[in-house]
Amino acid sequence: TPITPATPASESSGIVPQLQNIVSTVNLGCKLDLKTIALRARNAEYNPKRFAAVIMRIREPRTTALIFSSGKMVCTGAKSEEQSRLAARKYARVVQKLGFPAKFLDFKIQNMVGSCDVKFPIRLEGLVLTHQQFSSYEPELFPGLIYRMIKPRIVLLIFVSGKVVLTGAKVRAEI
Amino acid sequence: MPGGGHCPDCGSTELVEDSHYSQSQLVCSDCGCVVTEGVLTTTFSDEGNLREVTYSRSTGENDQVSRSQQRGLRRVRDLCRVLQLPSTFEDTAVAYYQQAYRHSGIRAARLQKKEVLVGCCVLITCRQHNWPLTMGTICTLLYADLDVFSGTYMQIVKLLGLDVPSLCLADLVKTYCSSFRLFQASPSVPATYVEDKEKMLSRTLQLVELADETWLVTGRHPLPVITAATFLAWQSLRPAHRLTCSLARFCKVANVELPCPAASRLQELLAVLLRMAEQLAWLRVLQLDKRSVVKHIGDLLQHRHTLVREAFREGPVGLEAGEEEPRGQCGGPGQGKEEVASGSCGLPVGKRPASPALLLPPCMLKPPKRACPPPPVSTVTGDENISDSEIEQYLRTPQEVKDFEKAQAARQDARSVSNPP
Repeated sequence: TPITPATPASESSGIVPQLQNIVSTVNLGCKLDLKTIALRARNAEYNPKRFAAVIMRIREPRTTALIFSSGKMVCTGAKSEEQSRLAARKYARVVQKLGFPAKFLDFKIQNMVGSCDVKFPIRLEGLVLTHQQFSSYEPELFPGLIYRMIKPRIVLLIFVSGKVVLTGAKVRAEI
Repeated sequence: MPGGGHCPDCGSTELVEDSHYSQSQLVCSDCGCVVTEGVLTTTFSDEGNLREVTYSRSTGENDQVSRSQQRGLRRVRDLCRVLQLPSTFEDTAVAYYQQAYRHSGIRAARLQKKEVLVGCCVLITCRQHNWPLTMGTICTLLYADLDVFSGTYMQIVKLLGLDVPSLCLADLVKTYCSSFRLFQASPSVPATYVEDKEKMLSRTLQLVELADETWLVTGRHPLPVITAATFLAWQSLRPAHRLTCSLARFCKVANVELPCPAASRLQELLAVLLRMAEQLAWLRVLQLDKRSVVKHIGDLLQHRHTLVREAFREGPVGLEAGEEEPRGQCGGPGQGKEEVASGSCGLPVGKRPASPALLLPPCMLKPPKRACPPPPVSTVTGDENISDSEIEQYLRTPQEVKDFEKAQAARQDARSVSNPP
């Protein structure tokens, strides 16, 4: 979803990052039997030997959830905070309908990932020289430059094509 | 010393409380006799209060240089010697290794990681002294995976808060080119393939600079570009005898490994050279292709600054021929060079040089892999009502559950039949 700029800084550049992924967590507040969930839900995947959680997916909003036996859940794939909350509520409802006393406690957005395109090529070697205390550019390992901004605490992946990926934000304003 | 006790063996009063793992003991410090000892087994309720003592804490190994660290320091020195680095580098690399070892995450790391850490310390030292050493070389010497190396390297740079300068391209060209076995005739190197080192070096450097200027180096692994540039430099110094030699054969003869992307870098470099050639009137008439342009690399390099400016010009080309509106936006502060529609220019094609091409990284010139339509604006608030029917579509019916259980049981039986206990 495109963001309406909240601060003058983003308005001046005219480039608006698109949100691509939101990761959120919520506590369902009760212990869960993952075997039962995997048995009675159509959209669940459970392979205890590989990973100790049920992987559940819903179509709308298109997201994936990791549901742990402690009752904690991680929801990924939503394109906005509201969609992430709605998706997490739907997963909680599914778990409720499977017979568990699921609640919806401490919903929190943990990470937001956005991307944008500045539409001009970037001399990464030059950028790493002028901003060396924030940048890490190792073309032998990764084609992009990793820029760790201090305020707000965001990590940007800057590529030669001018495409930028922003991650590490907890709120929309940070991106 | 606890009062009143003395050793039954030697009569000494020097008794010491010494906890040996979870068992407390009273030991005579003179003869070592164990006077009393605590209960070895614990009750269930006791165990609830016990804390596990890690091996590293009970043996005091954190207070001295461990064998593992000593081995690591030896490996650092060995690696510096193998690479024939100056002795000052050795001391710096050793210091970094010791510094890293003070962090508990490194001390407790697996041996594989500690081995890779040796390479990281040497690499950081070399980079800080502008000594051109690639990660590929270190990984080959340590028989390490580049992924493991990359993780440890990024971690250690962050952990030690180091400022590691970028790899110096010019120095890398000199070192890498010198490793090509083409400067003396030998049974495997025909006389026509032998080349003067200085000539080849200087031409390779110019080609690498050209590649850098035309966006072929940024974001890419540096070595394949240098391989391609070395090949072109070598070919162009005696094209008559060398045009028939392929890149793969060249690397084989020179006893250098051919990196995969080098072929692609070669094509990109040739395309740039062809564009430059089109700006020279006496070359334009020759209708050069990717093979014949090699003969003229010397001329092209001599005038490369002008030719690049001409072949990839910034701003509207139509201003020479007539008024032309630049299509699309201009790039950011001096960093992008935009093309202008040349098809609708008044002059016939034969009379003027080819219209300036876009000077952009190859990834921006390729058409996008798939169309990316902007996502529809979402009006979700997060508090919508969730209908029961929507949730029920995700639940299995009782019949489905039974079928699934049956299928699972059948699979279990099939497994136990094929794997008899």
